[in-house]
Amino acid sequence: INHIVHNGGLYKRPFNEAFEETPMLVAVLTYVGYGVLTLFGYLRDFMRQWKIEKCQNAIEREEQKDFVPLYQDFENFYNRNLYMRIRDSWNRPICSVPGAKVDMMERVSHDYNWTFTYTGRVIKGIINMGSYNYLGFAQNSGACQEAAAKVLSRYGAGVCSTRQEMGNLDKHEELEKLVARFLGVESAMAYGMGFATNSMNIPALVGKGCLILSDELNHASLVLGARLSGATIRIFKHNNMQSLEKLLKDAIVHGQPRTRRPWKKILILVEGIYSMEGSIVRLPEVIALKKKYKSYLYLDEAHSIGALGPSGRGVVEYFGLNPEDVDVMMGTFTKSFGAAGGYIGGKKELIDYLRTYSHSAVYATSLSPPVVEQIITSMKCIMGEDGTTFGKECVQQLAENTRYFRRRLKEMGFIIYGNEDSPVVPLMLYMPAKIGAFGREMLKRNIGVVVVGFPATPIIESRARFCLSAAHTKEMLDTALKEINEVGDLLQLKYSRHRLVPLLDRPFDETTYEETED
Amino acid sequence: LQEKEELIEEWQPEPLVPPVPKDHPALNYNIVSGPPTHKITVNGKECINFASFNFLGLLDNEKVKSAAQASLKKYGVGTCGPRGFYGTFDVHLELEDRLAKFMRTEEAIIYSYGFATIASAIPAYSKRGDIVFVDEAACFAIQKGLQASRSNIKLFKHNDMADLERLLKEQETEDQKNPRKARVTRRFIVVEGLYMNTGDVCPLPELIKLKYKYKVRIFLEESLSFGVLGEHGRGITEHFGINVSAIFLSS
Repeated sequence: INHIVHNGGLYKRPFNEAFEETPMLVAVLTYVGYGVLTLFGYLRDFMRQWKIEKCQNAIEREEQKDFVPLYQDFENFYNRNLYMRIRDSWNRPICSVPGAKVDMMERVSHDYNWTFTYTGRVIKGIINMGSYNYLGFAQNSGACQEAAAKVLSRYGAGVCSTRQEMGNLDKHEELEKLVARFLGVESAMAYGMGFATNSMNIPALVGKGCLILSDELNHASLVLGARLSGATIRIFKHNNMQSLEKLLKDAIVHGQPRTRRPWKKILILVEGIYSMEGSIVRLPEVIALKKKYKSYLYLDEAHSIGALGPSGRGVVEYFGLNPEDVDVMMGTFTKSFGAAGGYIGGKKELIDYLRTYSHSAVYATSLSPPVVEQIITSMKCIMGEDGTTFGKECVQQLAENTRYFRRRLKEMGFIIYGNEDSPVVPLMLYMPAKIGAFGREMLKRNIGVVVVGFPATPIIESRARFCLSAAHTKEMLDTALKEINEVGDLLQLKYSRHRLVPLLDRPFDETTYEETED
Repeated sequence: LQEKEELIEEWQPEPLVPPVPKDHPALNYNIVSGPPTHKITVNGKECINFASFNFLGLLDNEKVKSAAQASLKKYGVGTCGPRGFYGTFDVHLELEDRLAKFMRTEEAIIYSYGFATIASAIPAYSKRGDIVFVDEAACFAIQKGLQASRSNIKLFKHNDMADLERLLKEQETEDQKNPRKARVTRRFIVVEGLYMNTGDVCPLPELIKLKYKYKVRIFLEESLSFGVLGEHGRGITEHFGINVSAIFLSS
């Protein structure tokens, strides 16, 4: 399905993204479901208060009974009554390497999910469609693991110091040069945790008097970094370029809200792949807008690095653009490289500034040596520098898996969100009871999936999210698809009416952008 | 419309980052080659290491390393997922059990990044409108946590219990003026066991007395005192002989 795209000349390849509308009947039934659950919730709370039912919640200790209560009753209402019913779909403990197949520890609950006990049995060979293992580097044998073991025996397991003091090993220097070469930028800097990279570097780049334009569905780390920086935040509709352009025009023409002074800087925060929707950012248009209005672009490639692009260099390569157009390229090593940590890449002045002023460089410990070695080995493998074509094969396998899986699911009749090339596949469930049912049914059939509901998604749009991996073989995907088909028939999940509404035709509402000021 | 176009053309933003002088000390890092243990090789010279936080010397311990190698062979390096979605390993659960038993608390939870621990724990409990009394010399992670939580922050002088008592008394008089609001605002004190900025220990017994008198909850940040203070290394509560259940949260 090809859409008519504004600025269509900027795209070198078809951009197929679809978000099918919620069928009306399903939406009504979902609200009814939530209504019934809320009623029952009130009933149970009433019974608990009058001691008819035993209260299993955490209770205050005796001496502290007259302290101000820690949780407001209503805040925890959702937690107590709805989340507790389906809690066994999350925090599932595993006991093997998180590759394509995992072993899970069996958990049972005798009191309706308030407490869990482990039976001691291990369920082996569950097909893992939940871990972020896009290129299959989560291995416990092979070149990466051997190199990491060597470094572990030489350097020890930790660093015990911040980056600016004794924490800068020669391994870190090597890593940063490699990352800069991989991305095609001038230089790069690595940090210990992906979340913390965002929340500690955005405050270093912008401050009061600057404007941040962030996408509606940005990740919590970006939102936290933007709030901590003290700049004004304005939100544009998800992946909607007209909304972004309008905000930019208004911002430059009208200036700061009360004083009408011009803004010092404008920073646009976008992600490469949005993990809950599976959509890819419209990067050519964003870069065109950025150049026209002289603002700066911060691209968070947490999920897309290693997963998109013909040689795994991320969303910039996927669209065939120049990496120097993006001012700040940020990403994490957790997802595709099978390690931990985050990085920021860009021009040399930017990275020098971050080395001196970033909070993480001054106060937080640096990456630990075996993790660094895993990143170096896996990155060299993807680039092909270790002499094999293993990396390239993985990237191609992932692309094939993605296309095949999505096509089959759409043919079966499920509603799938997102771009056709993104390895994150959300399958819509909508009703609260189906969230728990889907997770449990799939586990019975030996497939591990991730289900998400409120508050990570809007209240009626709960979904199951599949993360494809290059380590999944075609047989595994076929087994999974067969099981999904069965469960879909059992739970009546095949809502799609093949009325795919192209994203650009969504009505663009002038009055609904939000302005939040600190 | 013409004016708008002109305004857009004229506007010049500041450069993304201001230029940094080339001889700023942070730009020329000391390159450490080899493991950062007691003797450390910095820029090619061998020195005695007085700068790392390697208090118990476990960085170079053979037992630790061999256990790490074994788990590397079993699990690989990364977890590839958050705790909620297949990122919880049995070793995480075992570590949490052991920590809880060691520290004699009911439960424990672990985070992957030290900085993020206290910076996420504070906003989880203290929201907008709550009151937090915090020491002036609190470390940066605590400051970021407080900033993210949007609560009212009241600073008291470093390790000065009289100052803290004065602030608590003021808060009490305010509460009496508005008892309805006082019933819903939570109050917390955030202190560190061993302060990173000044290196002294907080007077915990007096804090416990203040806690029961004015009904505040205590957040205790034990990054530096865990393993260091106390007879078995349980931290500042063992050092002063206090029951750890009086502390609301210890991190």
